[in-house]
Amino acid sequence: MKSKEKKKILVVDDSELNRSLLCDMLEDNFEIIEAENGMQAVEILHERELEISLMLLDIVMPVMDGFEVLATMNKQGWIKSIPVIMISAETGGAYIDRAYDLGAIDYISRPFDERTVKHRVASNFLLTIKQKEMSEMLSNQIYEKEKDNSLMIEILSHIVEFRNGESGLHVLHVQAITEMLLKELARKTDKYAISTKEMRLISNAAALHDIGKISVPNEILNKPGRFTPEEFEIMKNHTVEGAKMLENMTLRKDEALVKAAYQICRWHHERYDGKGYPDGLKGDEIPIAAQVVAIADVYDALTSKRVYKPPFEPDAAVKMIINGECGAFNPLLLECLNDISEKLKHELNVISFGDATESSIQDTVKQMLKDDAPDASDRSIRLLEKERLKFKYLADISREITFEYNSLPEMIKLSEWGAESLGTPIKIVNPLEDGEWTKIFPKDDLALFLHKLKTSKPEAPIVIERFQLNVHGEKKWYKVIGKAMWSDGETPEFEGAIGKIVDVNDETEAMEFLEQKAETDSRTGLLNHNAAKSRISRILANSKDKDKNYALVIFDLDNFKKANDVYGHLFGDEVLEVTAARIKENVRSTDIAARLGGDEFILFMEYKNTVKPLIDRIFKRLTVKYKDFDVGVSMGVACAGREDTEYDALLYKADTAMYVVKRDGKNSYAFYDDSMKNLLKNEKRQ
Amino acid sequence: MTVKECYEKMGADYDEVFARLRTDERITKFLGKVLADGSYDLLCSSLKEKNMPEAFRAAHTLKGVCMNLSLNKLYVSSEKLTEALRGREDYGDDLLPLLDGVKSDYEAAMSAIKELVGA
Repeated sequence: MKSKEKKKILVVDDSELNRSLLCDMLEDNFEIIEAENGMQAVEILHERELEISLMLLDIVMPVMDGFEVLATMNKQGWIKSIPVIMISAETGGAYIDRAYDLGAIDYISRPFDERTVKHRVASNFLLTIKQKEMSEMLSNQIYEKEKDNSLMIEILSHIVEFRNGESGLHVLHVQAITEMLLKELARKTDKYAISTKEMRLISNAAALHDIGKISVPNEILNKPGRFTPEEFEIMKNHTVEGAKMLENMTLRKDEALVKAAYQICRWHHERYDGKGYPDGLKGDEIPIAAQVVAIADVYDALTSKRVYKPPFEPDAAVKMIINGECGAFNPLLLECLNDISEKLKHELNVISFGDATESSIQDTVKQMLKDDAPDASDRSIRLLEKERLKFKYLADISREITFEYNSLPEMIKLSEWGAESLGTPIKIVNPLEDGEWTKIFPKDDLALFLHKLKTSKPEAPIVIERFQLNVHGEKKWYKVIGKAMWSDGETPEFEGAIGKIVDVNDETEAMEFLEQKAETDSRTGLLNHNAAKSRISRILANSKDKDKNYALVIFDLDNFKKANDVYGHLFGDEVLEVTAARIKENVRSTDIAARLGGDEFILFMEYKNTVKPLIDRIFKRLTVKYKDFDVGVSMGVACAGREDTEYDALLYKADTAMYVVKRDGKNSYAFYDDSMKNLLKNEKRQ
Repeated sequence: MTVKECYEKMGADYDEVFARLRTDERITKFLGKVLADGSYDLLCSSLKEKNMPEAFRAAHTLKGVCMNLSLNKLYVSSEKLTEALRGREDYGDDLLPLLDGVKSDYEAAMSAIKELVGA
């Protein structure tokens, strides 16, 4: 055996010595892939399931033990395609039983004996190959049987055609048109409830529609001129004759194919308006199979050359049929014909004998394997593999960070480009516990995202979140979009997810910048009044039941007008900026500071027991001389009581206290109390 | 020293291992791997840290290695320790004599193997 042709065996054992011992014994005939624990084995299976022909599996291992591997293989369906031989120092019967229950096919106990190992591996290997071959053989047999059926039909129908002087293609065309019409009909309505299987059956049976013509004498059949009334009666009789032939097949008359063929033979010249022959059936009294074949027959007759006429163009033929020039048909079928008319032109052009049978048989085999064999055949596995490659390629060239998430074993797989741009490996096993990965994608965010996927609904499986990821040492905003994959069936199970991670950092930063800009006062960088008001209102509204104290402070600069007048507006602006800077230095990040406009500012702060020391400190820091200007402020403070849940009312109180300060000589602060209640109304506005 | 002599020195079954592995070269090669195998060290450190599941796995691996190379004496002592550790959650001083047994057999085996491979 050449080395490149060697079959691959996966050896899973935590002891390096044991692995190499097995390797030593088997490497002449097999290529060995090693895994040192169950998790590694599952990862390898994920990637290379199709390559691995056999697996040797230890039981007691760190990270994931052999039983867990078997359980995973069952869940993923791998156990059906990969034979597993247990290798373990465990000799307890319970262990062995459990391994067999989980699908292991054999058991080699230690110590390893070279001849035993080689023999068991080889015989199990052969056994599995046999099984695979047999399932291939089975599908070949189905294929052959179908081929026989189709062949018989073809031969029979061609006999008729050659006698009839028509081109042999007529049968194939009628078959193809019938199938297309049926598909279109099923797409349009479920009125006739035709399964894929029945479609195939009807289009096969369609080939037999004219077998009754065998009973028509040659000179009538091939008469170039018009029929006499008597001749026409004989001609018409081919429907009844064909049906009779099928009815007389005593042995097989119950077969679905024969039944469909009977309907088609007898009734493919009936008319939807009841004026056809032989039985004058009307509307849906005519079996749908016969209705469809009737229209297919007419279409092909019109578009083909006959001794008595040249072929019509396809479009003209469709028009004639729809206009009722060639009989009366089910309006639904006329619609179908109209809809497929473009497709018909191409399809009928490419039909030749070999193709038609080949493709219909392949369809049949595929369908049968789907119906009867739940295990994927090698052929469909290869198709899947091809799809996977296509997906991977598209993901790579799209330059997007796409990902797959597997729930068992828990694993994230990134596109190559994705891994590169995030600076991670392509595959992250156990992502929630992976320190490197959670450095990039914070654990809580990931857990939240996965939770949302797992609790999504099959009918609404998309989850979109924004997270700040730490990519190459930089925190950037990303939009993470995931689609949960749910299994089919009555109780859908979460199987994993696919999705992509989109860099939205610039977008998000721009939004934040605009938001911030809309909220701040451009001169001082403090909040503007609106923003402060809405924030304070929110806090007040939420503080009702909580045991928290808040104070609202309002102040303006004494003699600010004078500063402007004496030193100029530029200096006035400087004073405002300096004041804002002093405020920023002396408030906590949780406090709210804003410029109301002009030289008026507010502060809103939480305090513990008493607010006076806090106010005193701020007052002192604000009233420090700037250049030659003696900065003085008049400050009013209102402490929010339980009843103060309205911002405006609270501001009014603080404003009143400030008024009192101004009235009493400025450059000081005062706390509002109820004795000031009507002061503002009575005095200020005078 | 021949492989057979080495086996006698370790209290191990040469005939049995030869019947299974079939060449002296192969036996020697894998005895060499026993020297590099970390299960014994892992067993000792896990017991010290009272990590019982890890200790069980290490003892179990050691036992498996002995089985494969027919190191009977070390197999018997490591098997006893493995069974004492199976499913056990708490450390206890009753494990010490068992560990000592493994230790002396292990050291004896190692010195014989070193002599054989000339390490």
